[in-house]
Amino acid sequence: MIRLALPKGRNQEPVLAALRSAGLGLSALDSGERRLLLPCPEDGFELLLLKGWDVPRYVEHGIADCGVVGSDVLEEVDGDLLVPVRFRAGRSRLSLIGRAGALPAPGSQVRLATKYPQTARRILEDRSWGAEILELSGSIELAPLLDLADVALDIVQTGQTLAENQLVELETVREVADCLVVNRASFQQHRQAINDLIGRLEAAEVAT
Amino acid sequence: MKVTAALPAGVSALFFEAADRLRRLEADLAATLEGAGFSEVVLPILDYLEPYDPLLTPAGRSELYRFIDRDGEQLALRADFTTLLARLLAPRLQSLELPLRFFYRGDVVRYQEDRPGRGRESYQMGAELLGVPGTQAEHEMFRLCLELALRSGLEGLRVVMGFAGALDRPLLDAAARGAVPEELAAAVERRERATARAAGPALLEVVEHGAPSDPEALGEDAATALRGLEALSTGMQRLFPKIGFTIDLAEFARFTRAPELGAARGRRSYYDGLLFRVYAAAGADPIAGGGRYDQLFRSLGAEVPAVGFYLAIDRILARGGGSEAAP
Repeated sequence: MIRLALPKGRNQEPVLAALRSAGLGLSALDSGERRLLLPCPEDGFELLLLKGWDVPRYVEHGIADCGVVGSDVLEEVDGDLLVPVRFRAGRSRLSLIGRAGALPAPGSQVRLATKYPQTARRILEDRSWGAEILELSGSIELAPLLDLADVALDIVQTGQTLAENQLVELETVREVADCLVVNRASFQQHRQAINDLIGRLEAAEVAT
Repeated sequence: MKVTAALPAGVSALFFEAADRLRRLEADLAATLEGAGFSEVVLPILDYLEPYDPLLTPAGRSELYRFIDRDGEQLALRADFTTLLARLLAPRLQSLELPLRFFYRGDVVRYQEDRPGRGRESYQMGAELLGVPGTQAEHEMFRLCLELALRSGLEGLRVVMGFAGALDRPLLDAAARGAVPEELAAAVERRERATARAAGPALLEVVEHGAPSDPEALGEDAATALRGLEALSTGMQRLFPKIGFTIDLAEFARFTRAPELGAARGRRSYYDGLLFRVYAAAGADPIAGGGRYDQLFRSLGAEVPAVGFYLAIDRILARGGGSEAAP
């Protein structure tokens, strides 16, 4: 049986809908139990419910054979994982956010707030800012709003929160999608079953 | 300074039963290698940096622990046995009687992002065979590596096979259409289907099934090599029925041979023929691997057929191997 790690929280619903569209029953999730390890023998899976940030670690170490995680998290943790497909639903943007106006001018000294410090470092390599990265764990938008930082690097889904707080998306850095990730050894061990899952996701047009 | 038991990230100490298990496994594997006609070589942990500079990929260079010695010489801690051995042997090959069979054991040190299960210091054993032409050397070393992997006591072993340069033709074709070969090879290695699909049907088949249904899609030379690999896989499967064998060219997508694709090369770029990795259940990293690396000696001015392999002893122990020697 293949162990599939799924993210808890806001990413879970679109991912579950996509998996069900691909023909997975995932009946164990309907029981209402608060178990974190849920066998779904009818699908040939055992589900492991984790925080999104932990999914890459569990998959990389083979505790889970595969999992679903946002490309934002994947880029930040930089694990050695296979990434065969990306889900279509629930896509968002990784963007630079600030108060109305333009991006700081080249050569400016910029303080950037984010929960993605590694990604921020890579992005800043291409910019001629003198930058200080301020790592925060949540409510990143507050940092530029209350002048803790000049800009923030964060996920934008609809832009509603930004609009309600007089903030703007200064620049879209890249699109963010939930990705199916697979452990390298598990892929070799369960190639047929994992290819079957990928094929079903592609056939249902919920992942590409 | 307060004395604590903490160690730097990525290194660990073995005590008591764990140390005993390591030494017993090591002794058993060394005895098997000696029984197969291999002599031990003992290599230094510290070496000059300069001779390796032309052999290093950017990724390999970033992993090195290097520093300036008191006399101003640039030195590096040993990150790979094979390059060190090749550098020491290449100038002496004329005076040595071939074939040469030798093995080594010891630590290699590489800087890696700190994460559990992937240390910066790792303990390896390995063996090299120099001077046996053709596929005979590949068969001998592949078979020996698998015997040792089985002796470690791990079950559920799976071998992934490929060869350097297998995807050069489709990668060059895609590059001619504007793709960046380095990025495409990395995407194929990660099995990104959308990227492979856009690059053409051969790469998509490689990503999905490990090899194209029509070997000729890889070009004439690679098609011949693929057929040879299939024969080797069949032969090994007969010899080792407990091990699963898979041909998977995507696994080695970054091991290129075409000079134009040099930027797509993997961390250790010297392989130029057969490639294999041995996985045990779970864990992303192989417990063993190896292949042909004639090119490494050629780049050091020596012509000799060379095939070798390594066993990642600490990964074997972490997965429960070495508890008792296999029969």
